[in-house]
Amino acid sequence: MIARLAVALLCAGTALGAGAAQADDDELDRIPAPTASQQANTSNADEVFFLQNDVIGTARRSDLPVAFPPPFPARWEERLFADARINWQLSDDVSLYYSGRLNLRAEDGLDVPSHENIRHDFREGYLAWKAGGATFLDIGRINLKSGVALGFNPTDFFKTRAVVEPLSADPSVLREDRLGTLMVFGQHLWENASLSVAFAPKVTNPSPIYRNDNLPSFNPMLDRTNAETRFLAKGSARLFDDFAPELVLFSNDGHWSYGTNITHGIGQKIVAYAEWAGGNGLDLADEALQFGKDTGTIPPAASSPLPSSTTRRFESNASVGFSYTTESKITFNLEYHYHQAGFSDADWTRWFGAGALGNPALDAELWYIRGYAADQGVPTARQEAFLRADWVDAFVEDLEITAFINADLRDASSFSQVTADYYLSREWTIGGLAAASFGGKRTDYGSLPSAGTFLVRVSRYF
Amino acid sequence: MTGLRFIAALTVLLAARAACAAETAQEIVAKADEIRNPGKPFKSTTVLTEYRSGQPSDRNVLVVYSKIDPATRQFRNLARYIDPPRDAGKMVLLGAVLWFYDPATKDSVRISPQQRLTGQAAIGDVLTANLAVDYTATLMGEETIEDAARQQKKCWHLDMKAASETATYNHIEYWVEEGTHDPVKAKFYADSGRLLKILYYRNFLERLDGLRPTQAVIIDAVDSSLVTVVDFSDSKFTDIPDTWFQRDYLPHLNAQ
Repeated sequence: MIARLAVALLCAGTALGAGAAQADDDELDRIPAPTASQQANTSNADEVFFLQNDVIGTARRSDLPVAFPPPFPARWEERLFADARINWQLSDDVSLYYSGRLNLRAEDGLDVPSHENIRHDFREGYLAWKAGGATFLDIGRINLKSGVALGFNPTDFFKTRAVVEPLSADPSVLREDRLGTLMVFGQHLWENASLSVAFAPKVTNPSPIYRNDNLPSFNPMLDRTNAETRFLAKGSARLFDDFAPELVLFSNDGHWSYGTNITHGIGQKIVAYAEWAGGNGLDLADEALQFGKDTGTIPPAASSPLPSSTTRRFESNASVGFSYTTESKITFNLEYHYHQAGFSDADWTRWFGAGALGNPALDAELWYIRGYAADQGVPTARQEAFLRADWVDAFVEDLEITAFINADLRDASSFSQVTADYYLSREWTIGGLAAASFGGKRTDYGSLPSAGTFLVRVSRYF
Repeated sequence: MTGLRFIAALTVLLAARAACAAETAQEIVAKADEIRNPGKPFKSTTVLTEYRSGQPSDRNVLVVYSKIDPATRQFRNLARYIDPPRDAGKMVLLGAVLWFYDPATKDSVRISPQQRLTGQAAIGDVLTANLAVDYTATLMGEETIEDAARQQKKCWHLDMKAASETATYNHIEYWVEEGTHDPVKAKFYADSGRLLKILYYRNFLERLDGLRPTQAVIIDAVDSSLVTVVDFSDSKFTDIPDTWFQRDYLPHLNAQ
């Protein structure tokens, strides 16, 4: 009896073993032949160079409710640029960093040849010193980014006027060609805490808002980044588990603002985050017109098309949202943006009402306010919703698709953009972008002079 | 004669039980962890080569700094992309909290464990994970299997269930060579029970003061044409301060 049972078990075991062996054979057949251990590529992550060419077409919107003052958005643009980020290690503790972009550009409305055809963006150039393992001191032009949200960063105080000629409205791409600020930056790290301090002196007076047709060729444009004396201090500490709030203190010519950043992981797929900043300030329209008068764009005696006040009041900005990643490699970010200084419902009504008067000088002021908001990196609207999706290996390997929509919650108008990049090889990437604004004539995004944009590009990395 | 055979079989069974009693499944996994990675902080260059239908199709190079977190006994990794050039300089901090840093935007974004898996750095992270910390192991028995070089290896066959939130996979089957405790093979399963990846360790060479695998072959069980070969090179022990494993350090990490 025992012998029969043993035979039966042996047979069963052999059958199972044969199945497993077959499966193992299939697996093992897929294994590439052994090669000598792969050596690291000679690429140097401290020296990144790429060339990129972009061709852009824009469809203008006709019959605008508020006439747009010239120059109008270019119908076509051609941009070829060389982009470099280099870190020279001067010694064990000292390094020199450069980041910049040399542009060759042409577009309808720009004379060829002219100094506008060649431009250099000096993004960063600073000396970095590691004073011990945990203390850092940097001096020079530094791009200091703060915030945890994606679509709108209230605590990113050095974002104002810093973005030059963006090729994409995607907030994460906007920052790729952003000018740093001349500053001294110090940081000390503890095991579960950090403290950072930055001081950026005023070195020149503020300049008028730049247009596409009056950008300087080789000027570092410190008037965009160092026209005020600014100070920032921020610190974070891990209080428990993954909870490490960051507190931010900022002064702009003595006007103080405060902020905080918080993130929290929820399970395997979600990260929730919140960002808030507040301080005494003017409403968007008042601040814009004051800036326009200070820089000579708007006559000093010009009256405001919207109710105005020179009294500063405490205003809050906030961005609250979460990211969610699916098993199919799509990451969604959904955010709510609040910009208290932005246009209220009444402000929009007055903005469109003033525009209906058909006064060109008034129209220029009205659009100046919205241009000022874009230059400052803040929304014109008071409340917006932002949804972004990033899909890695979309449909096929090495294709990345990114799409986002920014919607004004007051009138449901929106701006949408879809970008696709295909990584042809280690060196080459091709991509395309389509963007459009949607909404009725008397809405935030529906009143913009640009109805849609398309772009094709090719990049070569070295 | 039959009685003698019975006594011999009984002796073998008792010996096997004694061996199991001497070394628990968890201890086997812990010893295999020590073979895979040392306990001291180290730096390693990780080259990931993807093969499509047997042909090399893509390659990523990362420099990874690894150090055990004394609080969790799990490795924290700081991975810096070296290649391809479009990703050069990007960093991923893989610790209790995960951050992604892009030097082009000077922006760091907190990512979820799931989002970590969309990048190649996650493979290195899985390969340095201390499995004994994240999984509860059960000894299923002894098996002789073929390793990546088709050599017969007498192994312990272990079944491992996720025991912590940081565990990347729900369930792992693991084969560890008897005697040497060399890791030989692993199968990784999703929550649904679906087989995701099959992993073979090979090229055991002197590395970081021990005979350790210098190559891992990851066979994708979902995409039948995909195999990823992971090479570890330029490994060396190095001082890695705990201050490195936080968001604010990322902009300071350059060629070390």
